[in-house]
Amino acid sequence: MNPQYASLLIALPLFSAFLVPLIKRAGRKVILPYLTLVTLIQTGIAAWAFKEVYTTGQPIIVLAGGFQPPVGINLYIGHFAALFVLIIAIVSFFMAVFSMKAINVEPIDKYAMLFLLLMLGATGMIATGDIFNLFVFMEITAISAYALTGYNKTGEASEAAMKYIILGGIGSSFFLVGVALLYGSLGTLNLAQIAMLASKMNPTVAQAALALLVFGLAVEAELFPLNAWAPDAYQASPHSVTVMFSAFVVKAGLYAMVRIVYLFKDTPAFMGILNLILILGTLTVIIGELSALRQTNVKRMLAYSSIAQIGLIAVGFGVSTPQAVDAAVFHMVNHAIVKALMFLAVGYVAVTFGSPHIENFKGLGKRMPLTAFAITVGAISVIGIPLFNIFWSKFRLLLAALQVGKTGIVALILGASLVEAVYYFRLIHTIWFEGGGEKIEENLVLSIIMLLLVALIIIIGIYPETIWNIIQKAATDLYNVANYVKNVPLLGVSP
Amino acid sequence: MVKRALAIVLILITGYWLANALAQVPFGADKMLVGKYYLENVKDQTGAVNAVTAVVVNYRGLDTLGEVTVLFIAATGVAALLWRKKRERTAKSEGSVVLQTGSRLLLPFIMLFGAYIFIHGHLTPGGGFPGGATIATAFLMLYLAFREYEIPHKVFEPLEGLAGMSYVIVGLIGLAIGGYFLFDWIWQTWQLGHDNIGKLFSAGFIPIIYTLIGLKVGTELTGIVDNMVKEPKEGGQ
Repeated sequence: MNPQYASLLIALPLFSAFLVPLIKRAGRKVILPYLTLVTLIQTGIAAWAFKEVYTTGQPIIVLAGGFQPPVGINLYIGHFAALFVLIIAIVSFFMAVFSMKAINVEPIDKYAMLFLLLMLGATGMIATGDIFNLFVFMEITAISAYALTGYNKTGEASEAAMKYIILGGIGSSFFLVGVALLYGSLGTLNLAQIAMLASKMNPTVAQAALALLVFGLAVEAELFPLNAWAPDAYQASPHSVTVMFSAFVVKAGLYAMVRIVYLFKDTPAFMGILNLILILGTLTVIIGELSALRQTNVKRMLAYSSIAQIGLIAVGFGVSTPQAVDAAVFHMVNHAIVKALMFLAVGYVAVTFGSPHIENFKGLGKRMPLTAFAITVGAISVIGIPLFNIFWSKFRLLLAALQVGKTGIVALILGASLVEAVYYFRLIHTIWFEGGGEKIEENLVLSIIMLLLVALIIIIGIYPETIWNIIQKAATDLYNVANYVKNVPLLGVSP
Repeated sequence: MVKRALAIVLILITGYWLANALAQVPFGADKMLVGKYYLENVKDQTGAVNAVTAVVVNYRGLDTLGEVTVLFIAATGVAALLWRKKRERTAKSEGSVVLQTGSRLLLPFIMLFGAYIFIHGHLTPGGGFPGGATIATAFLMLYLAFREYEIPHKVFEPLEGLAGMSYVIVGLIGLAIGGYFLFDWIWQTWQLGHDNIGKLFSAGFIPIIYTLIGLKVGTELTGIVDNMVKEPKEGGQ
């Protein structure tokens, strides 16, 4: 098949979102099944692209408009992008199914449009090979995220959306100024060509531009001083949207940051920016874990825990040896699986009992045994206990930090796991050993989704080698910039 | 007081830091790496006389599709956040007779000019976004002059979706004919209007796409205005 068909990954969600106002005519009931169908097709296309990239070993280069880069925009679906586009599509599909249960606030048609465009934005951010196009997709992601955060229209949700929109707006402007600086001094917007010309760039300009880009993306990537919006937004947004935030929106931001920073690998500006990412990541872990410790709202607790995990991933990228990047990408995948499961299960509890407050989790083991089981497996996995997936990524991260002799990071990872153990075991204790009650019939489809994710966690935990192969290829895609540049068919436009 | 002083100091430091970096990018130096290519090839490859249009619609078409989407999200987001079952206009007073008559007279002219801007995007400055914004201004004027005015929602909402869908479809036809998404099939495969450069019927699919964008932007901005001037009705949810 023509590899250009991978552009359907962008075209399909767009087309389907524009189609919703017409679908609405057929009645409110068809909208959510329609959403599920579209995300299912998207999963199919993503699976095809994934298979294509991993069997041929070559990235798919989509040339928009048929113009070669850097004149036109290209999408670069390499090993990393293929893997994450697939994850985005699968999580979106699960959440479309969950939406049928979780979304009962009007207007459903607008929800479906925003949902599809949030998925589109994250897909585009990860697939694009052009820095301004990255900005456009970041705006698509961010603006649909603002609207979805405030979707429930409670005071709490409006406040969270307001915080998010202000911080996000400032971050985007920073990012745009950084892009302008880059374009001003290099005359190109294509990522591959930027990497080629990076060494010729004035170091002061490069440092300023990179710092602006990192700060701009840190809002989306939830790094410490700029993540104040995140816990509120996670708590107040619809449950299905929270899952999407945690499973892929934040990762798209983090990926974009790492992709851009690594383009400057051989320049003097690189070390300074890496240290900035390391510091931001470390602070994110510490603040996130300590804040999670005192929460009584389980969804908020998970939000802080999720932020802390993102900090760990950022630390991995900050260490920047091949082993550390491998581990960080592995942690990204594992975290996406585990947090998708946990926010889904907690969201389901909140839908059933009205709120995700810890009170409602008393005796959950007797009332909703399957959901309780899912939360327990997720919690144990996050702490990093052997035979579960996150153990392996944390372990690899530890080894990578030891290799470069950064004992501070080792202490950070172990300390974070200890704090996690405290609040997650408290939750598990509440679920299984307190309270009690009647058993409640659990939704069959949601149970199947939860069991699938649980199975995935345990399979990766027991046989990490199978996925490790994929992860290594994806991570190589990130840090092997020379290969990235070589794969993009640049037109002979040069200074 | 201390807060304000601190903020000023911080802004000055940031400004100095940025200015320092900007000083290293000399103004007016030749940085036309990709730009030169656009200027040299724009007529052959796209048929547009207006190079900006060619870059926006042809060379970097994906960005424009994204921007159209951003606007769509903004309109949808406003509609989602302000959604109530029963809403109505709450303007307190009617506009003066001069205002009402004036806006009645001006309306067709503004509409015409807006359409002119987006149809001639490949020839004159402007294009779909300014054209669409001009058309939305005409509707804004109606909302401000008349207390009871309301746009026909049954037409506007599907039109908005249809315009966006048609943009994607034009791109998908390019994928089917030329093998690339957003490929300019009218210009590059059918070669329509090749001896017509600089006149109205040229520039491949640019006029088509700009008409679609004009319609979309016009309906969307009008929709945002409509959503924002209405308030929940007493007794409504």
